[in-house]
Amino acid sequence: MSVTSYSERPTARADESSALSVPWSRPRPKRRGISARAVSAITILAVLAAWALSARLQLVSPVFLPSPFAVWNKFVVVARDGFVDATLAQHVVASLGRVFAALIAALLVGVAVGLAIGISTIGRGIFDPLLEVLRPIPPLAYLPLVIIWFGIGEPSKILVITIAMLAPVALSTASGVRGVSQERINAARSLGASRFQLVRHVILPSALPSILTGLRIALGAGWSTLVAAELVAATRGLGFMIQSAAQFLVTDVVVMGILVIAAIAFVLEFIIRRIERQLVPWAGRE
Amino acid sequence: MPQLVLDNVSVHYEGQAAVERVSINVAKGDFVVLVGRSGCGKTSLLNVAAGLVEPVRGSASIAGRPITAPGPDRAVVFQNDALFPWLTARENVAFALRLRGVPPGERARRADELLKLVKLDGAGDKRIWELSGGMRQRVGLARALAAEPEFLLLDEPLGALDALTRERMQTTLLDLWTASQVGVLMVTHGIEEALVLATRIVVLAPGPGRVVRIFETGFSRRYATGEAIRSIKADPAFAAARGELTDAIFEGEAA
Repeated sequence: MSVTSYSERPTARADESSALSVPWSRPRPKRRGISARAVSAITILAVLAAWALSARLQLVSPVFLPSPFAVWNKFVVVARDGFVDATLAQHVVASLGRVFAALIAALLVGVAVGLAIGISTIGRGIFDPLLEVLRPIPPLAYLPLVIIWFGIGEPSKILVITIAMLAPVALSTASGVRGVSQERINAARSLGASRFQLVRHVILPSALPSILTGLRIALGAGWSTLVAAELVAATRGLGFMIQSAAQFLVTDVVVMGILVIAAIAFVLEFIIRRIERQLVPWAGRE
Repeated sequence: MPQLVLDNVSVHYEGQAAVERVSINVAKGDFVVLVGRSGCGKTSLLNVAAGLVEPVRGSASIAGRPITAPGPDRAVVFQNDALFPWLTARENVAFALRLRGVPPGERARRADELLKLVKLDGAGDKRIWELSGGMRQRVGLARALAAEPEFLLLDEPLGALDALTRERMQTTLLDLWTASQVGVLMVTHGIEEALVLATRIVVLAPGPGRVVRIFETGFSRRYATGEAIRSIKADPAFAAARGELTDAIFEGEAA
């Protein structure tokens, strides 16, 4: 007798919610459906209410804290008529354009540098110290130097954001590359992979989850550098809008600009998480 | 007939001798199994054959050519499947073909044939994490066979599987070996597994790793000519060989 057919059961996938629950809080039936999300919503509403109330009772001068309604009105007005010669959409597009231009530059350079660090001893010797020096410097500190070198045009702003993004991308790539299992590399080599094929078909895809994490961190770093970069003789952009509004004490535009920056950061984070799920569905399941 | 030859091979790790003067010949169609206690250098020897470890003395060659690097003429299957999770089962199997520039249609067709051979037909579109441990090892075997190797190097390929899956995989291995007529060099901890699969069993002892006994066995040939595994295992000769092999492995165990 020989075994000719049988079926095997795929491994059961852990239920996501149970995988995420804190180990020391034992699962128990939920009491009347109070979720963390509901608590978060209530918290935000409470903050908004406190803000509205303090404005209503005029506890604080509107110059310091305009009411939520004034901010909302400003949002509508600026979206329609613009502020300092550009509509809100134009400011947003200008800022996003800079961040994405910087992101592409940072990805091209950062992934290459990260690969070099992860793969070769010489690459690590060259780039590791450079990154370690560059990483802790706040972008505002090297901004003046970049202006001396490259002027006050668009390239300087993009360059500053790129530098801010470079370290997270390169370091995550390097750690992803170093984390590739030796067995996986040996298997590919024994199947006939050349050195280049090894990088292209095994190392890069293996490091992809890590690269995407780096990209997410980089986007956060870049977005927060944006305001600093746009302080420099920009004529458009969210940072510029806030800056010029502050000079004229148009506080409602300042608050509105901050909220728009926060909203965009939130949306970007959300989009990248979606991309991660699409691109590296195996992450955390190996 | 092409041979995989390890001739008087010694392997040292950081000055420590792991293997001392071991010679092993694997001809095409052989199924050679290395057994022995931990630290006897089984895996080191396999890695020398794979071209992943360089011996300090002695030589390794395949069909007369010296082994200096890994190559698709000796595909390796590891204990942890080492599959690529970003590829489907089919794409994993077709990996070696892709490296050689085989066109997509052709390599998908080849991969599906191989998946059928390891009894995974229909699982080609599955992602790796959707497969059980046994299914993954099957994909790993199919992927190694896709390189059309003359020899298969198996490093405890069934080590991570549960007992029942293991037993089924043994018959799959024998079927593949019979069908493809490759030469196999395999490392295992399983005494019964060695007896079921091997045409020759090389018993190694640790400190440093060396050959203590070589058994020529015929149980796998009996399977190849149609006898059922259960009837082979029920044969008193199997039990006797099992006892003899166990004695050889633990012979000279420090008292």
